[in-house]
Amino acid sequence: MIEAHGLVKSFGSLRAVDGVSFQVRTGELYGLLGPNGAGKTTTMSMLAGLLDPDEGRILFDGIDLAARPLAVKQQLGIVPQEPALYEMLSASENLRFWGGLYGLSGRDLASAVDRALQLVGLSDRAREPVRAFSGGMKRRLNLALGLVHGPRAVLMDEPTVGIDPQARLNILESVKNVTATGTTVIYTTHYLEEAEELCDRIAIMDHGRILAEGTLEELIRRVGGREMVTVRGGFAPEALRPVVAALPGVTVTAEDPGRVVLTIEGSGRGAVDVLARVLGAGLEIDGVSVQPPSLNMLFLTLTGRELRD
Amino acid sequence: MIRLLTHLVAKDLRRKARAPLGLLIVLSFPVLFAGMIALAFGRGGDAIPKVRMLVANEDEGALGGVLASAFTARQAARVFETRTVGAGTGLDLMEHGKASALLLVPKGFTEDLLDGRPVSLRLVRNPSEGILPEIAEQTVGTLVDVLEGSRRVLDAPLAGLRPLLTSGDRSPSDDEIVAISLLVKRALERSGGLVFPPTITLESELLGNLPSTGEDSKEKGAGTPTIFLLILPGVAVYAIFLVGDQAMRDVMTERTLGTMRRQLAGPVTVGAYVVGKAATTAVLCLLALLVLTVVGALALRQPVSVTAFLAVSLALVVAITGTSALIYGVARTERQASTLSSIVYLAMAFVGGSFFRLEGLPAALRAIAPFTPFYWATQGYREVLEDGAGLRGVIPHVAVLVAIGVVLLTVGGSALHRAARRGAAA
Repeated sequence: MIEAHGLVKSFGSLRAVDGVSFQVRTGELYGLLGPNGAGKTTTMSMLAGLLDPDEGRILFDGIDLAARPLAVKQQLGIVPQEPALYEMLSASENLRFWGGLYGLSGRDLASAVDRALQLVGLSDRAREPVRAFSGGMKRRLNLALGLVHGPRAVLMDEPTVGIDPQARLNILESVKNVTATGTTVIYTTHYLEEAEELCDRIAIMDHGRILAEGTLEELIRRVGGREMVTVRGGFAPEALRPVVAALPGVTVTAEDPGRVVLTIEGSGRGAVDVLARVLGAGLEIDGVSVQPPSLNMLFLTLTGRELRD
Repeated sequence: MIRLLTHLVAKDLRRKARAPLGLLIVLSFPVLFAGMIALAFGRGGDAIPKVRMLVANEDEGALGGVLASAFTARQAARVFETRTVGAGTGLDLMEHGKASALLLVPKGFTEDLLDGRPVSLRLVRNPSEGILPEIAEQTVGTLVDVLEGSRRVLDAPLAGLRPLLTSGDRSPSDDEIVAISLLVKRALERSGGLVFPPTITLESELLGNLPSTGEDSKEKGAGTPTIFLLILPGVAVYAIFLVGDQAMRDVMTERTLGTMRRQLAGPVTVGAYVVGKAATTAVLCLLALLVLTVVGALALRQPVSVTAFLAVSLALVVAITGTSALIYGVARTERQASTLSSIVYLAMAFVGGSFFRLEGLPAALRAIAPFTPFYWATQGYREVLEDGAGLRGVIPHVAVLVAIGVVLLTVGGSALHRAARRGAAA
């Protein structure tokens, strides 16, 4: 349904998006996962028609966005990172404006507004001015504005950034409701858990490139048969490196003062062997954790740093 | 397209209606300002009060009479309500606050003046009459200067005239009149270069070019203008520009809110967005004009040409929309735009005669005035309100305002288009 082919966008000397290509199928929830500055928002701006790519093209059901922008935009919904709302107007008035902008009117508009309010759980606050809303409620309304006209595809750019856990759960629930209606969604996030919980397929981005793409299972399979062991303590990382160097299949993936992350090929006794060697070397250890294969591990393997860095 | 524009404008108007304080303050400004100035004259919205002038002329010669009669001349009669009294009566009336000023012309004034002896006129002013006594003082001062200058220039002819000036009993013979006329002519020719220097002639021509002073006797009616009426048009024009500024500022506000970006990601082109903002600005200015017109009509009850008033108003709205589009197209931030518009509007209002009568401004500023929309709008309204001009009388004002508006709207719209694109991409 949505195809991005070789998208490139530079700002001066910075190549923010560097040859990004992907295809999103109808009804799919496609995640762009990456740290801040990975190029997710720039990619979304190009998909929304707000930025012209320097190279590449975007197709929506075979229609070239650059050639017929209004025809494409009419079928898209946008949920920006920061709520873009008219605070002096009520939730209902905001929705009526955005719905009307896409050509809805009369009863169609009224029922679309009711539906959107219901979807995000704001029906009982419909007539209140938005300025009286909490941050979480504004986020939910922000989501509803992108859905009110019943778009075939929605672009959601980190809709849960900076909100409390409860509000975040509400948003995620609403997103699931959206996908249940068969709407195609492209969802950017830097939260691993969100990508894991929501997305049918995930593209991992960093430095303007897609490093890996696939379903959660496919991606994890790429780091399958490995464990990630994090050793914490009051030791210098360089003191630990020779201790584990002799162990087969163990590589140091990341290290900070007081923390070293090791990747161990194969599963089973690897972590136990590491622990025994470290203790035997007399290094002061505060804790050891073992993670099964995960997206974070994949990101660490691909980039040499954790997604949370 | 029309439906989309209507939708965009309706949304902006609804938002303004929810937070009307800014607009109300701007709209109340001209009414309060004009009202306060009117109150300073002590008679609110009444017709301009005349200077109640008392003249006590104890001189028996002709020059004292000339001085006294100067206040009853046709033009002066529009400003002065003059009454000739004895000195004692005059002082008594002044003490009871029955006049603005009393001019005492002493006995022997004409003779002393012709002999070159120092003479003194006495002007008693009533401090409770605001600026009216000041007008009397300025006028008397001018008359004294004229008399003094005439005495010096026409020294020889006056010697011949003296018997006639000091005694009003005798009529001159034809020969005397011819002889004196020749003397006056020669004296004027000798001093012409000094008394009427070329600069005065040039300044006079400039004033003659001003539309407000042009003759259009067929269309000009003539009710007596009130203080409120004198002040209101200029300040109202300034206020309407501020309303336009507030409306166009929404471009910056929406950019900050993210709603502009969101609209442009939807089915709104940058062009439609810019036209929508221009339309909102125009509609808000028209609404503001309507409010001020209603207030003005209630306060003044002045019959005017509705078509002329409408024509000037619509042309003004075009000019305001163009000016604000240019300012907000050029400015990069809301603060930049706010500072720029404050400076530009204040300067143009000052130079364009919105705050002060052009006649009271220096010649250099009067020369700049026609380059500002404030000038054409203010003068246009004054033509309609003060002089009762019809549509024909304000065609130049309307034409220039529309021309300014169209040019600025073209340039400003293009700049605004670029600014909106930048905002969408940010």
